Formats: sequence, C-alpha cells, structure tokens
Amino acid sequence: MARLQTFADLIELAREGTRPLDEIFLDEEAAEREVPAERLRQTFLERWAVMKDSVRRGLAGGKSFSGLVGGDAKRVIEFTRGGDIAGGHLVAKAIAYSIAVLEENSRMGVIVAAPTAGAAGMVPGTLLALSEERGIDDAATVRGLVVAGGFGALVAARAELSGAAGGCQAEQGVGAAMAAGGLAFLLGGDSETCVHAAALTLQNTLGLACDPVAGLVEVPCVVRNGFTAMLALAGAQTALAGVRSVIPMDEVVEAMVRIGEAMPRSLKETADGGLAMTPTGCRIRNDLYQIK
Amino acid sequence: MISLLDIVGPVMVGPSSSHTAGACRLSHVALALLEEDPVEARFELHSAFAKTMRGHGTDRALVAGALGMEVDDERIKDALDLARARGIAFTFKPKNMGPEAHPNSVAIHLRGRTRSISILGASIGGGMIEIREVDGFPVSLTARDPCILLFYEDRPGMVMRASEIIGRRGINIASMEVLRRGKGDQAFMRIDLDAPLPHEDVAALRQMPGVHRVHVLDRVAGGAPIT
Ligand code: SF4
Repeated sequence: MARLQTFADLIELAREGTRPLDEIFLDEEAAEREVPAERLRQTFLERWAVMKDSVRRGLAGGKSFSGLVGGDAKRVIEFTRGGDIAGGHLVAKAIAYSIAVLEENSRMGVIVAAPTAGAAGMVPGTLLALSEERGIDDAATVRGLVVAGGFGALVAARAELSGAAGGCQAEQGVGAAMAAGGLAFLLGGDSETCVHAAALTLQNTLGLACDPVAGLVEVPCVVRNGFTAMLALAGAQTALAGVRSVIPMDEVVEAMVRIGEAMPRSLKETADGGLAMTPTGCRIRNDLYQIK
Repeated sequence: MISLLDIVGPVMVGPSSSHTAGACRLSHVALALLEEDPVEARFELHSAFAKTMRGHGTDRALVAGALGMEVDDERIKDALDLARARGIAFTFKPKNMGPEAHPNSVAIHLRGRTRSISILGASIGGGMIEIREVDGFPVSLTARDPCILLFYEDRPGMVMRASEIIGRRGINIASMEVLRRGKGDQAFMRIDLDAPLPHEDVAALRQMPGVHRVHVLDRVAGGAPIT
C-alpha cells in the first residue's frame, strides 16, 4: 500500500477517484498480494460466515473455561424479546451479539479475530445487528467488513494491537473504531464521515486499561465488547449527523500509541493491576489457580 | 503494509489472538525448523506470557503448535492430553528476559530423535508473530512469506552459490541477511523469497559444500496463499 499509509492518504484517494472505500482497500491489498480483488472479497465473505456462526454458537450459551462468564448474550437477547428494552432492537442486538462472540471465544470456540480475539465481538456484533435490522444482505454487509478491516490495517501500521503493548484501547478501542467506520459506510456515510466515526470512537476509549481478572480473556473483556459496540454505534451516529473529530484520526492513533507507552506494565495484560487486583479479582485468581 | 486479512482474522480458536493463536504459530515455526516429530518440548515464558499462561490457554497452544496444529484447530484445547498420549514430554518455565524483551516473548526448545532446535520469538498482536533468534542467531522473521534459512561454515562464495541456485529457478529474492559467529566460524543466511522454492532446489542447497543445514519456512504463520 505504497500510497495508502495513513487515514489522510485514504481521504485523499477517496476524493480523487470514484471508488468507494471498500474498493480502495481491496485494490490495494490485491496489488500487494497479486491476487484478484474479487478473490479477496470472496475470502471476506467466508470470514463473515464464520463470524455469523460464532454469534449463533455464542448465543446458544454455555460457561467459559473457568466458569466465570457465559450466558450473558442469551440473557440480553431474551430480555429484549420480552419487549423491555432501553435503546431499541439495534442496540440490544449489537450488545448481545458482541458479547456472544466473546463468550464463544472464552470457550475456546472458533472465532475471527477483529483485530484481536479479545476484541473480536464488536465488528461482527454491530454489523450483524445492523444488517438484520435494516435488511442488508451479506454481499453488502461484507463491504462494511472490508472497510472495518482496512481501518484496522491503517491503525496497525502505526500501533501494535495488543493489550500487552498498548492496553485495551489498542484492542477494543481499535475494534470499536473499525466497527464505527464499517457502520458509517453501510449507512451511506462518505469517506470522511467514516473516518470521523472511527476517530470519535477511538478517542473515547483512550486510556482504557487491560486488566483481565486472573489473566483470562473473560472479565472485563466479554461484557466490555458489548459496551464498546455501543461506542461504535455512537461514533457512526454522531459522524453521520455531521459531528467532526477535532483531532484527526491519524493523530488520535498517535495519541493512543503514546498513552500505551506511558501506561504502567501492570495495566497491560499482566493481570497485575486494575480490576485484576481488586479483592474480588484476587480471590477469583487464587481460587482458580489454588493459590493460598 | 499489514494485510486486511490479518486484521479481520485469523480464524482461530480462542481465547487470545496473541496468547493462543500467536503462541501456536510460534511453536509451529519451531516444529517446521525441527523437521521431525518432537520427543521433548521446553518453553520459557517472559512477562505477560508467563503471567497469564494458563488463563489464555498459552500452554495448550504452544504444545498444539509443536504438534503441528493450525490456529483454528478445535483440538488445541486438548493439546496437552494429545501430547501426553504421544509420549511427548513438555515443560513450562517463567523466565525474565529483561526490560527490552517484548512482553509476549517465549523461548522454545524442541528436541526430536536426531536433532534439536531453539528459537526465541514474540507474539506481537492479533496473532502476528516475530522470530528473533534461531539457535542463538539474531534474526527477524515473520514466517509469513516463503523463506530459507541456511546454516553453514563461513567461507567465500557461499552467498553467490546459494543465490545462483535460487536464481536459476527464476525466483526473486525479496531480501537477505547474512551473519556469522566469527571469521571461518558458523554462519547463517536468511533468504526471503517471492515464491516457494521447489524441493530439488532445496536439496541442491543442502548439497552445497560447507552447508550444515537448510530450513524451509513456507508461510507457517498465516499469510497463506489466496488462490
Ligand atoms: S482487557 Fe485486555 S485481554 Fe481483555 S479484551 Fe481488553 S486488551 Fe484484551
């Protein structure tokens, strides 16, 4: 992607041509890998099928490895069916589906990392919720998925996407920003709007610590996917309404990297701080590993 | 540029892309370098890798990779039992590799019937990996693209002869790295290729005088060809 290194490049490319964002990303990748863009689109369709299946398996329930999580996605969706919803079907589904993927992940089930396993929920969760609520077919939804992937790749060019290197902002923050870009695209946003959706979302996750209880990708990770999915919806909603991120996306990414560097190691996946070191967090860890 | 398919991917078993999928790929690379079935696997884990090993299934994933499993293999969760059933001994030890080391670093030592291999690698996020040492030689390998590793005796003409064999096949060398312990001592060559090298050429490399061993890494860590 010689000409496509930053979000600024992307906006430039989108401005000068007639290609929509998904085509720009697929063309760049196709050139790099020397494969036809249509073949890549097919691979994305296959991955989308695995993503949808992971939501379905996740909703079926079952406890995690440790027994700490499981069943929450089902709880949210069943509550919604009862009609008691604070936020509409789209919101409820986005939360439930995002959590479902992570519950499946916590059972060592098959998922698609997006961008990581711990943050695998919000991209499929929000896109599937939107596609169901708006009757968008798979072929069209996958275009949003490509945009989400392209956004993630642009962030990954500058930042390592792992809790160990950058805290949870670098996993779920980026996942939510990807989802926001994909959602805005599916809802008809132009390229600048899509980038603003991502920027608004990412900047509102800055500083998010990675503090998994007992070192498991369970608490807070599983439920957090439902919450960061909400940020993605908010990012798309506000950007489509014309709200603009004062700080450009490329600079938000830089800020994320610097915050990640400044974060103490105890808040970067070592399970040595934050929620992991609360009295309850410690008790759970001790029970699990039989530490006296 | 990082591939979109690395971002929306890999398709993998949970729970962690760096601690499960990345770990599996790291020891899969070690297995590819060993080129025979392991009888013993020793893992030394640094920092975050050591701290959250059991919770992330890193132990199972490391062993799974050494058994040759891919990241989406549903048997990863049973890898420890499978290894025991095959009589493969495995151990895990925490090891402080210093403040410079990537928090998700692991040293993998595999022993087969006739040879052993040691690598040092790191899982750098989203299931992507980097190998930083092979048998003590500092390298930088992602194991995504086709790559050849040569261990040989330091003597004149080796680089030329190796590139001749590859060039004859019309395969482009993307990049290359040459290192040696000392003049006339053991040397090491890493050759990144744009396409995999056919077996007979690998055999020709192996027959070059002064060559101790030749390893082939062909997209072990993802980057699978899309055709
Ligand atoms: S808290 Fe840490 S382990 Fe959990 S999802 Fe966030 S970055 Fe991943």
